[in-house]
Amino acid sequence: MSATNDKTGERGSTTSAIVAKGIGKAYEIYDKPIHRLWDLILPGGPRCREFWAVRNVYLDVPHGSTVGIVGENGAGKSTLLKLLTGVTQPTTGTIETNGRVASLLELGAGFHPEFSGKENIFLNCSILGMSQEEIEARYESIVTFSELGDFIDRPVKTYSSGMYVRLGFSVASSVDPDILLIDEALSVGDEHFKGKCLNWLNEFRERGKTTIFVSHDLGAVKSMCQNVVMMDRGEVIEQGDAEGVSDAYLKRIKERGNERLSMLNRGETEYPCWGTGEIEVTAMGMFDDEDKHSHVFQTGRPFVVRLEYKALKDTAQPVFGLGIYRSDGTYVNGSNHHWRDEPIALEHVAAGEEGTVEMSFDSMPLLAGQYYLTTFLYDHSKASPTAIDHREHAITFEVVDGAKHQHGLLYLPTRWRMERRSDGGEVTRTESVS
Amino acid sequence: MFATIRDLIAHRRLLREFVVRDLKARYVGSSMGFFWSVIFPLLNLAVYFIVFRLIMEVRFGDKMGPEACAFWMLSGITVWTAFAETISRSTNCLVENGNLIQKVVFPSEILPAFLTVSSLINMLIGIPLVLLGVGFFILKGDTAGFVEVETASLALFDGQVLAPPPDRTLRWGISMICLPLLMLGQGVFTLGLGYFLSTLNLFLRDTYHLVGVLVTFWMFATPIFYPVELVQSARDGQFAFILDINPMHWLIESYREVLLFGEWPPLNFIAPFLLVAFFMFAAGSTFFRSQKARFPDLL
Repeated sequence: MSATNDKTGERGSTTSAIVAKGIGKAYEIYDKPIHRLWDLILPGGPRCREFWAVRNVYLDVPHGSTVGIVGENGAGKSTLLKLLTGVTQPTTGTIETNGRVASLLELGAGFHPEFSGKENIFLNCSILGMSQEEIEARYESIVTFSELGDFIDRPVKTYSSGMYVRLGFSVASSVDPDILLIDEALSVGDEHFKGKCLNWLNEFRERGKTTIFVSHDLGAVKSMCQNVVMMDRGEVIEQGDAEGVSDAYLKRIKERGNERLSMLNRGETEYPCWGTGEIEVTAMGMFDDEDKHSHVFQTGRPFVVRLEYKALKDTAQPVFGLGIYRSDGTYVNGSNHHWRDEPIALEHVAAGEEGTVEMSFDSMPLLAGQYYLTTFLYDHSKASPTAIDHREHAITFEVVDGAKHQHGLLYLPTRWRMERRSDGGEVTRTESVS
Repeated sequence: MFATIRDLIAHRRLLREFVVRDLKARYVGSSMGFFWSVIFPLLNLAVYFIVFRLIMEVRFGDKMGPEACAFWMLSGITVWTAFAETISRSTNCLVENGNLIQKVVFPSEILPAFLTVSSLINMLIGIPLVLLGVGFFILKGDTAGFVEVETASLALFDGQVLAPPPDRTLRWGISMICLPLLMLGQGVFTLGLGYFLSTLNLFLRDTYHLVGVLVTFWMFATPIFYPVELVQSARDGQFAFILDINPMHWLIESYREVLLFGEWPPLNFIAPFLLVAFFMFAAGSTFFRSQKARFPDLL
């Protein structure tokens, strides 16, 4: 172990861990499979179209750095990672890696489904160039780290996705790599194991090793990486310090999300709505902190829901309300203007009256996810409120969370206070309000 | 070719891991385990024996008892099964292990190699069966396996008369020391073909299905269940050329000389076979290697 460390130290001072010069990867797409064979044996080719999954990428990753690669689906992140591991060869350009590379590509990749966990450990370690003695020496610690217990002797095909990741991570971490490439793998698995992996990764980083990290999870990227590379359609469109690039990426997905969700929201009558129709809701929308109509909101930022109405008949005691549902159907919150400490009571609305109802939130409390908004308009003059205009799941919106400081369903403002008493009786107090 | 051999040696531990794993899957996975390796060729033998010897009455020379004839067939079946099984499994092996090839830097050379080695080891179970059979005849004192055939019974198709097969005596011989050479030759030939077909299968997935059919054709083109003389004499020797271009015939005859008659493998069979095996390996491994960098993209 220490020997390897020394070696890395030497290397770290002189060379980069990974240098990629103008790499590109073109996949050949054949309309008919047989054309591939003709291309192999007959002149007159090529008979295929090219698809460039990655194009013109220059990277220089110094030893000891942690680099994140972000981008939407199909941006070429995974292909780039495959090129860096050496699994596929670049069509153009060169890649130079210094040190032992281990990778954690997708779920269960590199495992033989019929082999047991134990056999896969031996298989993977031998592929990575470890000797029998080395593997045997590390076997116990791999099994312990993976927490697989007796499952280690069962075929890998019987594993759950979490178990795959645990085994994969345990193997990759045990071969003592100089460069670790991780592709989304950590997004699976329970929080406990995730925490363990993050601990290990931090230690790994502190030992001066290099990590490249592909993820959708902006929070994880931001907290782990000093540098971030943003990819789109096979090309690197931005690279630099984590903070700047992640913000650019966040903005980008917000724009993209708006496009997608406004498509989704276009079908006005697709959602179920019912009621007597005495008052009609003529328009509704959600607006962000700049009062721009939007479908994507950021945790912690203010937002407003606004609707316009027009009364077609005289109505007594109408009440407007709002409900927020999570995409899995969980009822998150519901309220109206009447059931409050200071209610707004509409005793009577005359036919022809028009108006605007606004509900504003100082701070979006929801964490990342997709949500629905339901609007209620009920007649409270009856013994039990009856629907005038009820619109179920009328608006679909998305919440993105750039900071990722909290996990779960809701962002809850918390205050942390710490008091540390040293042996000498010295007391230090620290406090964090946000 | 040498680069392939070098890679195989460099990854010999991984290769062993795969072979052990494959043998285990053969023997441990099923309830009958190890015995399948014995039962399977015997069942095969029973079917072919009943069809060719008892129902169709293919002439092996009438003095050869059914038992001797059975072992004559068994020697061929054992070798053929190992060969055919490896060929069809090799053809698909890159596709089957796509998960490894696409996701880790994997020495794919070892895939056809482990299949070849595994079935050769499996064949080692069939060979003692044949030898035991020969031993049984020696004990019985009834070693005249293939003797002169009465001329009358030679009237086969269209009233042709066959030249009588030569006198043969079943025995064990010192020539058994050739077995490793034969197996090596068989392995090299099979592996070369395996490299070629597995690569071709990536370009044309139909290869796998084609190979299944072609292997059956090839089996019937090889004297495994019928005597060589039948092919030589059928239709005035029109089909004799099949024997002249069929390396598996040369190999199986060499095995039979050694296993059944205790003779040295005939030079006019073993020499061309080894030559063909060498060229097959050279061609197959060169093709495999030239395309290897593209495997992850072809899968």
